[in-house]
Amino acid sequence: MTLQAQASSSSFAVGIPSFTSPLGGSRHRLVVRAKVEPSDKSVEIMRKFSEQYARKSGTYFCVDKGVTSVVIKGLADHKDSLGAPLCPCRHYDDKPAEAGQGFWNCPCVPMRERKECHCMLFLTPDNDFAGKEQTISLEEIRESTANM
Amino acid sequence: MAVSISTSTIPSLNSGCSNRLAAPSSSSSSLQFPLRVPQVRIGTTGVCSPSRPRVLLVKAAKQTFSSFDDLLANTDKPVLVDFYATWCGPCQFMAPVLSEVSARLKDKIQVVKIDTEKYPSIADKYRIEALPTFIMFKDGEPYDRFEGALTADQLIQRIENSLKVKQ
Repeated sequence: MTLQAQASSSSFAVGIPSFTSPLGGSRHRLVVRAKVEPSDKSVEIMRKFSEQYARKSGTYFCVDKGVTSVVIKGLADHKDSLGAPLCPCRHYDDKPAEAGQGFWNCPCVPMRERKECHCMLFLTPDNDFAGKEQTISLEEIRESTANM
Repeated sequence: MAVSISTSTIPSLNSGCSNRLAAPSSSSSSLQFPLRVPQVRIGTTGVCSPSRPRVLLVKAAKQTFSSFDDLLANTDKPVLVDFYATWCGPCQFMAPVLSEVSARLKDKIQVVKIDTEKYPSIADKYRIEALPTFIMFKDGEPYDRFEGALTADQLIQRIENSLKVKQ
C-alpha cells in the first residue's frame, strides 16, 4: 500500500536554521520531519499485543496490512508519549487525561464489549475489509510505513 | 454557467507568504516564522494522482489560506473536508481514495484535508471524535457528515447523493 506523505506536515514543526545561506552555497540538506517515529521497543510490544489480541478475540487484520501497520505505530507512539496505547484514530481534547481515564486505551471499551474497532485493526470475519491473517511481522510494518 | 475552479479564482496566497511554504529549502521561510496571523496550511488533494508530473502536483494541490474560514469563504464549489491524523490507519487508507475521488469529481467538489493534531482548534470547533471524519461544506456551512473509511465508489456515491439533496 502506498501511503502518501502529507507534504504539509513538514511546513510548520521544524524551522530551518537562519544561518542557511540564501545563496545556497553552504545549504545543508535537512530531513524535515514534523513527526517522530515511535520507538522500536514500543512498536514490537504493540505488534505482539495485536497478534495475541486478534487470536484471543477471533478477529483478523485488514486485507491491507498497511492499515494495520499504521495503527500499530500509532499505538506505539502514544505508548511512548503518554505511557498508554491510546487509540490513534480519535481526536481528543486532552490526551493525557484520556490515557489516564482508560476508556480509549487499546483494547478500548467498544472493542472489549462489542468487538468494534474503527481503527480497522481488529476486524470480525464478516467485515468487508477483514483479511485472513492474525499475524504481522516487523518487516511488514517497516515496509508499509517506509514512505510516510 | 459552470466555471472551472482554477487556482486563480481562489485568493490562494496570503500576502507575503506565497510559495515559500511550498519550497522547503528556501531560507526565507525561516525568517517569517512565527507569524502574527496563524497560518493554516491546508493540503488539498486536487490532482494528486501519482501519474501526473510533480510540478502540477505541487501547483494545483497546495494552497495557503489565512484560515480555514477563509478557505471555505473563498471556494464556491462544495468542499469535502477530511479530518485525519498521521497514525490513524483508516485515514492513511483514504489518502489514495481521496486523490481518485478528487480527480473524478474535480468539477463538483473541492477536497481538503486537515491534520487534527496540527489544527486541534478546527477539529474541536466541528466536534471531531472518530477519525477519519468527513464533512461536506456548502456556502461555508457543514451540511453532511460521516465517519470511517470507504472505497472510492462508495465515497462518490455518498457525495453525489449529498449534492443532489442540497439542490
